[in-house]
Amino acid sequence: MEEVDKILIHALKQVGTEVSEEVDSVKQFTSELIVEAVVRCIRVINPGLGGGLPTSLPPGMSARFRVGMSLAQACQDIGYKGEIGYQTFLYSNEPEIRSLLMFLVEKLPRESAETSDQPTGKSVVLQRSIAAAIKAQLSVPWLPPNCRLPLNCDTQSPGELHRFHVQPLSLAQCTKGPGKKQLKELKDYQRDILPPVTAQPSHHASVVASILEQHTAELSAAQEWDNEWNSQGLLSRLTPQEYRSRKLARLRKRIEEQLRSAALPSPESAFGGPCSTSDLSELLQAFRGSTPSDHILTKGTHFTHTQKFTFTQEVAPVTSPLPTGPQSESEIQLRQQEELTSLQQQFQQLCSDVDQLAADLKHMSVTNTQVLDELKQRELGNSEKEEKMQVKKKTVDLLPDADENLLKLQALVEASAKRVVNLAAQWEKHRAPLIDEHRRLKEICSNQDMESSRKLTEIKSLHDKIRVSTEEAKKKEEIYKQLVTELENLPQDASRSAYTQRILEIVGNIKKQKEEITKILSDTKELQKEINNLTGKLDRTFAVTDELVFKDAKKDESVRKSYKYLAALHENCNQLIQTIEDTGTILREIRDLEEQIETENNNKTVANLERILDDYKAIRQENSALAAKVREG
Amino acid sequence: MVDSLSRLPAADCLKLCHRVVDDICGREPPCRKDYGATWSLEEWLDLLNSLTGFFRLAVGNNSSDEEVLAGLSGMSSSSHAETVLSVLRGRREEICRALQDRTNSISSATLQDFDWQLKLALSSDKISSLHTPLLSLSLDVRENTGLRSVTMEMNRDELNTLITSLEAANKVCVCVRNLLMLC
Repeated sequence: MEEVDKILIHALKQVGTEVSEEVDSVKQFTSELIVEAVVRCIRVINPGLGGGLPTSLPPGMSARFRVGMSLAQACQDIGYKGEIGYQTFLYSNEPEIRSLLMFLVEKLPRESAETSDQPTGKSVVLQRSIAAAIKAQLSVPWLPPNCRLPLNCDTQSPGELHRFHVQPLSLAQCTKGPGKKQLKELKDYQRDILPPVTAQPSHHASVVASILEQHTAELSAAQEWDNEWNSQGLLSRLTPQEYRSRKLARLRKRIEEQLRSAALPSPESAFGGPCSTSDLSELLQAFRGSTPSDHILTKGTHFTHTQKFTFTQEVAPVTSPLPTGPQSESEIQLRQQEELTSLQQQFQQLCSDVDQLAADLKHMSVTNTQVLDELKQRELGNSEKEEKMQVKKKTVDLLPDADENLLKLQALVEASAKRVVNLAAQWEKHRAPLIDEHRRLKEICSNQDMESSRKLTEIKSLHDKIRVSTEEAKKKEEIYKQLVTELENLPQDASRSAYTQRILEIVGNIKKQKEEITKILSDTKELQKEINNLTGKLDRTFAVTDELVFKDAKKDESVRKSYKYLAALHENCNQLIQTIEDTGTILREIRDLEEQIETENNNKTVANLERILDDYKAIRQENSALAAKVREG
Repeated sequence: MVDSLSRLPAADCLKLCHRVVDDICGREPPCRKDYGATWSLEEWLDLLNSLTGFFRLAVGNNSSDEEVLAGLSGMSSSSHAETVLSVLRGRREEICRALQDRTNSISSATLQDFDWQLKLALSSDKISSLHTPLLSLSLDVRENTGLRSVTMEMNRDELNTLITSLEAANKVCVCVRNLLMLC
């Protein structure tokens, strides 16, 4: 019964009844506690019904009676079938209360109350606690750093706040390539000079950030490579190294093309080299070689050329008149003006000359290419004509004795035809096996192709599977964690395993009892059978004896007497058996009645009746007192 | 200028060279006060510049050991040249990676670092219960030579907008890269 009581008390506590720690069984419940528990249960089950009920007993007897009656009524309204009255609450007996409480606890709504409470409750509680903490911190007066107690330090000192800065780290294992032999110098450096990772960043605070950053960078690089390899690398059917080198070569080529196309638009560039270079490194070398001497900037454009030209031109005349100093300023100015105009004219003349010359040059180059083309074409025509001429020359040579030559020619033609046929036959001979071979090889090739593509798809599907299963595993792990936390959060006082164990024990006991009962039943059946057998035997023996004796009785007087005795004996015996059976039933009845008496005694009916009588008297007294008061009033 | 290095003993020289390489790789540069007695400020700066330039050039040109030694032929003692060469050989890969990083961040502004904090605004002076999560994101952007810090505070919607636009940018980058590979 203890387990049941524990469950009951736990449930009642959840409902809101204040059950003190010492009370651990229903036997120890006082009537106050019973009333409170019942009222709280009813309020949860049916708020409308329980709303009007008080949770504590009033002092007056009639009021108590009324409370008890209304409680009993409420319990019956909810659906309690057992015997219940006001005395159930006031003068409790253990089994009744237990059955009532069990009924009420079973009637309690299950999960709904908890689930509606918890989620809002949790976040609200958290936010409330945060707000309370902040309020408390705000209420503490600010103190200058020197006056701070250790108590205030954790909330007021800014020392804990670091910005997370990342600095590059040098790690031994990340600089080591797999399969590559490590240099001796590198090993020496890592052993002797390289400080540990925690000492590498300048601020101690950025150690963690730096390590995390490095880790994320490596991880994301690995992931990207994995993705690329799975999506494109596998299809190319190369080893990773080959794939990498091919990609590198492609990139190099691309960059080279870009650079060349960017460099080409300036046709008169000072570094004529890059047009003919075939490699990126050479191209870069060309750039590198030309940059220090500032060749890129001083490309020979029209502008710079003319600038240079005019500048040098101008310098010479300006410097020359300087020595002829002692002349009047107006003259100088005039001369300068003249010079300027003449120079400008000259300059314009030269400019137009240059333009014209450039145009001429262009024209010339165009005509030059045209002429070259023409020359080529003529040469081609020439050679063709020469060939024709040679053929004609030969025919002319052959003309004098035409018939003979014709015959010779025919023979020659025939011979060559034969030879051609012969060769064709030979070729056929050779060709057939070769073609077969070719077909066979082709087939093998296609087979291998198919095989490899099949394997590729297999690999891909395997990759997918791996991904899916890792995801699943992660998910399941998360679910497991969640469940573990939930399990930890579950109330521990109602331990499930204990209950199940208890239930299993009870089931075992019941089984054992059932077995015993069946054993007893079979025993009883056997006994019944035996009894039946014996009575049958008896009847038959009696019938035979009766017949024998009756036959003899007709002849003999003394035998007749014995027959009478026999009949009497039989009758008496029957009566005796009847009596024994009656005694048995009566004994059983007596036992039943005794049991009933015992249960009634347990229920303290007499005492309760006495108490009820007392109550009745008390109420009557109250009533009479009230009546007297009324009369007096 | 590198030859003034021979004023230091070989062991210290090794350490100094490693610190210079650390500087190239973005870690702490060597401290002048450790070597204040050996060189004047001008000499010190010259030495650092020339050493840095020497390492960069040697790794960038992918020069062989002989070429490096030829470049160091101006140094009076050969042991110091050997030291510099050993430092270069040991950390060639690291320097190469640093140089590649420099080349990668060729655009006018690059993201150097970022930091974020998540804050929960419980209430304001007007509203008693707000409960709005706010993300303050600060980006350290390197522009030409200077470091500029861009700080912004966003609520959930704004953060989502930022993330979607960044993802779109990333998608474009991936597209361009694939195109490059296909060409």
